[in-house]
Amino acid sequence: MTARRWVVRIGVLLLLLVLPRLIYPILAVDILCWGLFALAFDLVFGYAGLLSFGHAMFWGTSAYVTANLLFRTGLPVPVAILLGTIAALVLSLPTGYLSIRSAGIYFSMVTLAFAQMIDFIARQAEDYTGGDNGLPGIPRPSLGPIHFDNAIHLVLAALGYVVAARAIESPFGQALRAIRDNRTRAQSVGYNPRVQMMVAFVISAGLSGLAGGLQAVGHGVVSLDVVHWTTSGIVVMMVLLGGTGTLLGPLVGAALVLLLRDSLASSTTATGVVTGAVFAATVLFFRRGVVGTLLMLDFRRRKAVEAPAPPAAEAAPPKQVTAANPQVRTP
Amino acid sequence: MTLLLIQIFNGLVNGAFYALLSLGLAVIFGMLRIVNFAHGALYMLGAFTAYAIGERFGIGFWPSLLIAPIAVGIFGVILERLLIRRLYDLPASYNLLLTFGLTLLIQDGVRLIYGISGQPYAPPAQLAGATNLGFIVFPTFRLFAIIVSVVVCVLTWFVIERTRVGAVVRACTENPTITRAFGIDVSLWITAVFGFGAALAGLAGVLAAPIYSVDPLMGSELIITTFAVVVIGGLGSILGSVVTGYAVGVLVAIGSALYPPIANTLIFILMALVLLLRPTGLFGLQEAR
Amino acid sequence: MTTMRSAAALVLLAASGASAQYSAGGIKVGLLTDMNGVYSAISGAGSLKAAEMAADDFMKTNKDFAGKISVVAVDHQNKADIASNKASEMYDRMDVDAIFDTVNSACALATSAVAASKKKVFINTGAGTSELTNEKCNKYTFHYAYDNYMLASGTGTAITKRGGKTWYMIYPNYAFGQNLERQMRAAVEKNGGKLVAPSEATPFPNTDFSSYLLKAQSLKPQVFGTMQAGADLVNVVKQYNEFGLKKQNIGLAIGLLFESDVAALGQDAYQGAIATVPWFWNVDDKATQWSRKFEKAFGKKPTFDQAAVYSAVTQYLDAIKRAKTDDADKVIAQLEGHKFNDFFAHNGEIRKQDHRGILDVYQVQVKPKSEAKEDGDYYKEIAKTPAADAFTPLSESKCKMAQ
Repeated sequence: MTARRWVVRIGVLLLLLVLPRLIYPILAVDILCWGLFALAFDLVFGYAGLLSFGHAMFWGTSAYVTANLLFRTGLPVPVAILLGTIAALVLSLPTGYLSIRSAGIYFSMVTLAFAQMIDFIARQAEDYTGGDNGLPGIPRPSLGPIHFDNAIHLVLAALGYVVAARAIESPFGQALRAIRDNRTRAQSVGYNPRVQMMVAFVISAGLSGLAGGLQAVGHGVVSLDVVHWTTSGIVVMMVLLGGTGTLLGPLVGAALVLLLRDSLASSTTATGVVTGAVFAATVLFFRRGVVGTLLMLDFRRRKAVEAPAPPAAEAAPPKQVTAANPQVRTP
Repeated sequence: MTLLLIQIFNGLVNGAFYALLSLGLAVIFGMLRIVNFAHGALYMLGAFTAYAIGERFGIGFWPSLLIAPIAVGIFGVILERLLIRRLYDLPASYNLLLTFGLTLLIQDGVRLIYGISGQPYAPPAQLAGATNLGFIVFPTFRLFAIIVSVVVCVLTWFVIERTRVGAVVRACTENPTITRAFGIDVSLWITAVFGFGAALAGLAGVLAAPIYSVDPLMGSELIITTFAVVVIGGLGSILGSVVTGYAVGVLVAIGSALYPPIANTLIFILMALVLLLRPTGLFGLQEAR
Repeated sequence: MTTMRSAAALVLLAASGASAQYSAGGIKVGLLTDMNGVYSAISGAGSLKAAEMAADDFMKTNKDFAGKISVVAVDHQNKADIASNKASEMYDRMDVDAIFDTVNSACALATSAVAASKKKVFINTGAGTSELTNEKCNKYTFHYAYDNYMLASGTGTAITKRGGKTWYMIYPNYAFGQNLERQMRAAVEKNGGKLVAPSEATPFPNTDFSSYLLKAQSLKPQVFGTMQAGADLVNVVKQYNEFGLKKQNIGLAIGLLFESDVAALGQDAYQGAIATVPWFWNVDDKATQWSRKFEKAFGKKPTFDQAAVYSAVTQYLDAIKRAKTDDADKVIAQLEGHKFNDFFAHNGEIRKQDHRGILDVYQVQVKPKSEAKEDGDYYKEIAKTPAADAFTPLSESKCKMAQ
């Protein structure tokens, strides 16, 4: 079992190394960054069960901070990204604290409200954000002989993934899932939901910020899209397409959505019709997402092998909370 | 000072639109808990239906006021029966995503047929021009719109809160299991309520057509504002959404008069404040789930 | 059309032997624009058609041109990050020699940065930001057709000179709108006009402008200026009519007006409004002739952006012919300072110092439908600003290359 996991992980790593040769490098970087963003989002959505509509505020704030630092100071790229991440973390403290007080759809709406406020500030602070024109031509100052090309993205993104993975597989991650599945019972065994969710929210915000900074550097341009509410929407779709509650799902979902967007750009077909149809079809028929479905099939296959006469009451997806894989496993 | 009063009056008129649009969403989202992101697209369809039947069949504004909402309502019923009801057992986020996808589909579909720029639509002759109200010379059509909005809002509130039909609807949404035990076909009622909410969106669209540009994206930025209004008013409360709609209209008008750039963001600031102080909204009836 | 082009290409190839003087054996023109979104009516598929027509016509008039010319279109979906990605990909992987259009200011600026880093040509026709030839100018970027300065100074000057002395303006609260308002105000005041109240920044995007129109009603200026564009403009004009401002003798000045905006409401709604355009389809005989050809091929009359694309592509190809290579630096040397006249640009010149393509521009007034000779006959020319005066004077330019 553990061996399998490692095989899969190394396989993914190899794929990521080869990816820039298969598709255009900037797109590969994009997939990495959005994948990390989606995973960060899923930390709160899939594991803590909270749908945030405002994650763009962390991604975007970090992107703008990183870009500004690179423009205005001579700081090396990793430092700028780090500071951008810290900015996102700082933002997450008050917003997280105030949002966590609400639950369900109210949580979503409060996060949306905060994100809209950040959007407004970004629009107004034109000296720092370029307003509607954005900030093109972000420089990548090298540190002596070290040039920051795309390799930096792989390194930093991998760091982010490791952090996320550790968080998910740790006792903390287990506690999160316990709270998600049955809040009252979790409380009765001594977990404080507010604290756990806050921690999850902050980690999620930080990783979103890391991803946002990486993306700003990768593209060389930041525009108001990074704080627009549709960005928060896209990341939800990535997670759903890829498979919520899985480690690789968000990355796969990001790849699918970005490849779709890229192929639509190269053609001239009706973007909205295709994208909308894909979204709707995914939600209706393919809810577990790619990775979730693969895991489900794998689970069924293994169960069929182990118990030749499987009982008819095979685990249907738990309807109450997430439609993701019925077991808590990570590939 | 007079200018401020004029702006407040104008704000009430805009509030009428917010209220009508929020009414439909309050019914669908507030009561049925279906996060109907397509509400803005339904509004747009109402406007386009009025335009299309006028263009194709020469049907004027007055009949459109009845036909378009019914058409959009039927479309809503079809959506609900075919697609949306499959996701009831799942968390609200799935409905959100489905309806978000449907919105993109519908908007782009309309764009493919009619193009991205607007289509012309004029108010009916009887309502064209302006009326002198003493302190202000105001477009007659907008006065008509506010009257329609008030009437429809009051009627809807009355039906839902004070009649037996409304009681059944409220029972279906608050406790479907027990209601079913009484022999009431809950799923049929839910479909009907959804259709009614959609029809309200369509009605708002027809009323908007003579005033605002009739283009495929006319509902796209409105939708999050409408959600905000419903949430501020409190999920489950019709009165809450209506009152908040008018209040928001006035608030945005004052904002536009004092510091225009913030006008669109004021709603979200208000929403954050309300939710922090009263987590279930101003008139919210139910526990924050 | 495509088969004809391939046939022509084959013939040329056979006749000349595959040419090695052009990279990848030929010239690839890239069109990066909004194909399906809010600007698609202004640019979109029509710009692609214009670029293809330009390539075809060039090959017809230059039968001995050694190398094939192809056009590829990419949709940036109005997102600067997609524009940036795709521009890179177009230059690196698709062998695109030059990118045209972009139509969206954020996308134009992003593409400009990519062009500078890849050292390949970018000719923007559709986006208005004057930053492209000022703060953000670079050697590889050219700005064709309109920009904010041209719009504002043209309209502000013309209307004030015609007697519209008192103004009240609204503008959308982002760079383009702010820029346009500032320059419009400057033009108005330079010609003896004045603002009766400070200009109002409106949220962007926005659908309801009633509060500003009510304010205009109480202020009673001679001119109500709107810097709104696209769907926002359509709402402004619709509500301007609804509130009856014209009847109260408050005229309408429009910052940026496209033909598709007029079509959205019908020209009677815009009747009497004044705006500045670099070109319109029936401004003169040559323009009309070209436009009829375009209309036959595309099915709709051209917008000025689409005409600009045709003109820009043609000028670029001509520059390649003169340079005898598609090497970017050499072609740019041919473009800089080039003076020309075609159906789109009268007294046209591509300024060496800031790569601003200048041309004569026109102040137009929208005529009522009753005076229109056919569908789409919207404008009546009321004044002309010569190329030398229409654009940012070099003395005021913030472009580093101009210093």
